[in-house]
Amino acid sequence: MYATKQPSLRIKQADLKCKNGCGYFGNADWDGYCSKCYRNQMEKERQKKSKQSQQGDHSKATSFSKFEEKKRQQSDKKTKYFLPVFRKTSSLKETGRPEKYIDIRQMNPDADKLLAEFISAYGEWGEAVRKDFLKCVQSFTSKIIHELDLKSVEELADIAQNYYQLYNNRLNNNAVYQSVTPEVRDKLLDFFERYSMVSLYTFLFCPPSTNDEEKDLSIQDRIRKLSWVNAHHLDCCISETSLEVRDLVYTAINDLLGMDSMKAPQEKLACVVRCCRSVVEVLQHCQGGPVSADEFLPALIFIVLKANPARLKSNMLYVTRFCYGARLMQGEAGYYFTNLCCAVSFIENLTAESLNMPQQEFEAYMSGEVTCVSAWESALVACEGMHQLCEHLSLLKGLSERMTAVRDDTQKLKDDMHRLKEEINDKVTSVLERTPLVIQPRKTILPLTMEFLKSLPPLPDKVEGAASDEVDTAPKYYQQNITMNQMGLSNPKPKLQLDITPCVSLPSASEVKPSLSTEFLTVASPAVDKSLDSITPDDNSYLGLSKINYDIDFSDISAENSIIEDLGESRRSPTMSFTPDPFSPMGTGCTIMQSPLVPSAAEMPRAEDPPARKNDFVLPFLEEIEKEGTSEETLLDKVEETPTICLPPPIKPTEYTGFSKQGSKIPSIPCNTGDFSSLNSTPNAGSSKDTN
Amino acid sequence: MKIITGKVVVLGYQGVGKTSTIIRYIENTFPQQTTPTIGASFFNCKIDIDDNIKVTLQIWDTAGQERFKAMTPMFYRNANAALLVFDITSTNSFDSMKGWVQELKRNVEEPMVLFVVGNKIDLPEQREVSRTEAMQYSKSIGASYYECSAMTDQGVGVIFEKLALELVKLSGEAVNHTLKVYNDSELMAKSTELPPTDTANEEIVNLSLNDSIAYGNPVPAGCCFN
Repeated sequence: MYATKQPSLRIKQADLKCKNGCGYFGNADWDGYCSKCYRNQMEKERQKKSKQSQQGDHSKATSFSKFEEKKRQQSDKKTKYFLPVFRKTSSLKETGRPEKYIDIRQMNPDADKLLAEFISAYGEWGEAVRKDFLKCVQSFTSKIIHELDLKSVEELADIAQNYYQLYNNRLNNNAVYQSVTPEVRDKLLDFFERYSMVSLYTFLFCPPSTNDEEKDLSIQDRIRKLSWVNAHHLDCCISETSLEVRDLVYTAINDLLGMDSMKAPQEKLACVVRCCRSVVEVLQHCQGGPVSADEFLPALIFIVLKANPARLKSNMLYVTRFCYGARLMQGEAGYYFTNLCCAVSFIENLTAESLNMPQQEFEAYMSGEVTCVSAWESALVACEGMHQLCEHLSLLKGLSERMTAVRDDTQKLKDDMHRLKEEINDKVTSVLERTPLVIQPRKTILPLTMEFLKSLPPLPDKVEGAASDEVDTAPKYYQQNITMNQMGLSNPKPKLQLDITPCVSLPSASEVKPSLSTEFLTVASPAVDKSLDSITPDDNSYLGLSKINYDIDFSDISAENSIIEDLGESRRSPTMSFTPDPFSPMGTGCTIMQSPLVPSAAEMPRAEDPPARKNDFVLPFLEEIEKEGTSEETLLDKVEETPTICLPPPIKPTEYTGFSKQGSKIPSIPCNTGDFSSLNSTPNAGSSKDTN
Repeated sequence: MKIITGKVVVLGYQGVGKTSTIIRYIENTFPQQTTPTIGASFFNCKIDIDDNIKVTLQIWDTAGQERFKAMTPMFYRNANAALLVFDITSTNSFDSMKGWVQELKRNVEEPMVLFVVGNKIDLPEQREVSRTEAMQYSKSIGASYYECSAMTDQGVGVIFEKLALELVKLSGEAVNHTLKVYNDSELMAKSTELPPTDTANEEIVNLSLNDSIAYGNPVPAGCCFN
């Protein structure tokens, strides 16, 4: 009363007088009484109180002050660490109680303020509505106060619920509210509850007739004992080191603590809802994506454990009893409040089993034998340095975990790289085995062969017609092969070719005279065989050799482009079963293949002697090359020497004999192609081998 | 105009996809509602049956962990419907769901719409609970059986639509005093945030107990079997 008058600068003498009107000056400390009247007043109160305690629970009343003190200590501790300063409203209770029959509005400036706010916000409702509203509130509050000492809290709660319902009906049916929009009706009902509850808060919150206080203290004690429980125990994923998350958690804790400072049940509910929304936000931060109840409830339990709100049970019971039922049953507020009830019930009944830990460990924690320090705990209890230490420890733990992860990954990468290396090595060796590198005739021969080739033209003329088709189909590569054959013809010694790389000679040969090479192509083609047959059908050696020659071509082509005609040709001549061996890409084939060839070559000179003549032609160069190539001497050398003695002029048969002799050089040709194919297209080379 | 507000509690073992199913439905039906509602485990969704009937479902998600089982009665108190979700790839979740049903039968006296939902039908090769088994069980407790896949969005919408229809039926029988039914045309102009309880007339009918807590005939769940 005194406080409200302070704004005026001058205080009238009457205001300073005792409230009793005895003429003495009063004092604000004595509730506006003079010392004498105050003493009398206190005496009256004491008598009233003793009467009440006789009626009600005696022990509760006597131990009440002790509880109050304890609670105050706890809440004081809390306020030290959290920003909002919670006004202790319960202290009013003792002094306010004796004055309960005094006009309620007088002792509830909060209610006055609320009313003023509400009128300013919804001023449109008329005088009649306001009067009716106040009348209803008055009847409600006076009814409650009247019944306060006679009925239990549960019965009072029923009365309150009935009044809410009554007023709700009145809002909808009474003529006074006819002009009020539904929205304002909702607000009015809400305000009815709020206003009357704020007015009655001191009587209805944690009434002495109940054991709410004890419950408060027991849950507080319980939570304190469970202070070691951390997020990990509850299987909830709150990361302790993230600054953002920590801020959100503090917000949630603050909201929950704020519940105690609110007076109206719906305001308390709003605090719970705010707290729960913060919890949801925390979870969204920590895990991302939608939050399910599976995660929400553990997190809420964690928050309740860390907040340890003052008078938690009293607040919850107050809300349960005096909040309008429909609000509590349904809607978001109802859901979150139910969750809070769940959390508290979980904490009350918490056992080792519910934390998935052995009973012994649980007991050790509970008895304080083992303490586990967490960043949260230190933030709430210990000094800043300790808090930072804990935070850094957990940060370091996370870092070391990541380090080991990185190390493991590095090792894995190393292994992978090693494996890749081995794999590549294996692949390379396997490919090398499949397609070996064989060295081809050297470049220096080329000019000679060129000259030699020029000397040959007469032969192809005969066969050209038959071969003309093939010229079209035969690829360039084919042509090259034939030129090679020709070159081989010039130097019948196979060993010589070993030193020389084919890649140089091949293009040059084809470049120099493609037309010429095509001519030779005709020689190599199956058509040649036919012509050969027609010329010397009896000569087996010729036939066999020419076939050999042909087969080489086939294998070469198949490496790049398969020509079906050739294939058919090769099938037609099964006599040359031995040929594949010499033509196999293996370098060793060289010496082996010579043995079957030698007899035919040896026979050749005797029969017709055309190779001898040809060899003579080439001989000088051969000798040159022979000097260079130091490879082993074979029978072939001898064979060749014999033809040199008689030198018939280069006629067509000689051409053929050349070819036949060329068979000895044949192995070099596939090797050549093999080399090329390995450069261009490895799989083809492999397939060509397969077809062979 | 009839407005029905029903509380639907979603029960089921941890990880069977309770929240996923709800969120899938909310996302599909109310795409404009984004972050504020998604992420919470409480949902309010309105379904228009026709021009005259509107159903508001208040969906309460629950924690499925075994250790919170003792607290579940707080959630399903005053619920009008229960979605019992299990995972068809886990027999364990099916057995656990049976436990919920028994508890519901013990603790809930009012008639209640019961829906058994088998989730994760996108994993047919891992199926452990056969359809017939689940159907038989659902029939035995007087519940409807549905199958859905929250992941592939199969049959999710149907469940909630049928649920709304069942609630309408339940309100027609008017044997439930927690189910809020309002007949007020003016009410529709109201803002959607506040429950219509505050201004509308509530039909309160005396409670009559049934043998089964489940109400209504099991609806053959053909709609999701294709």
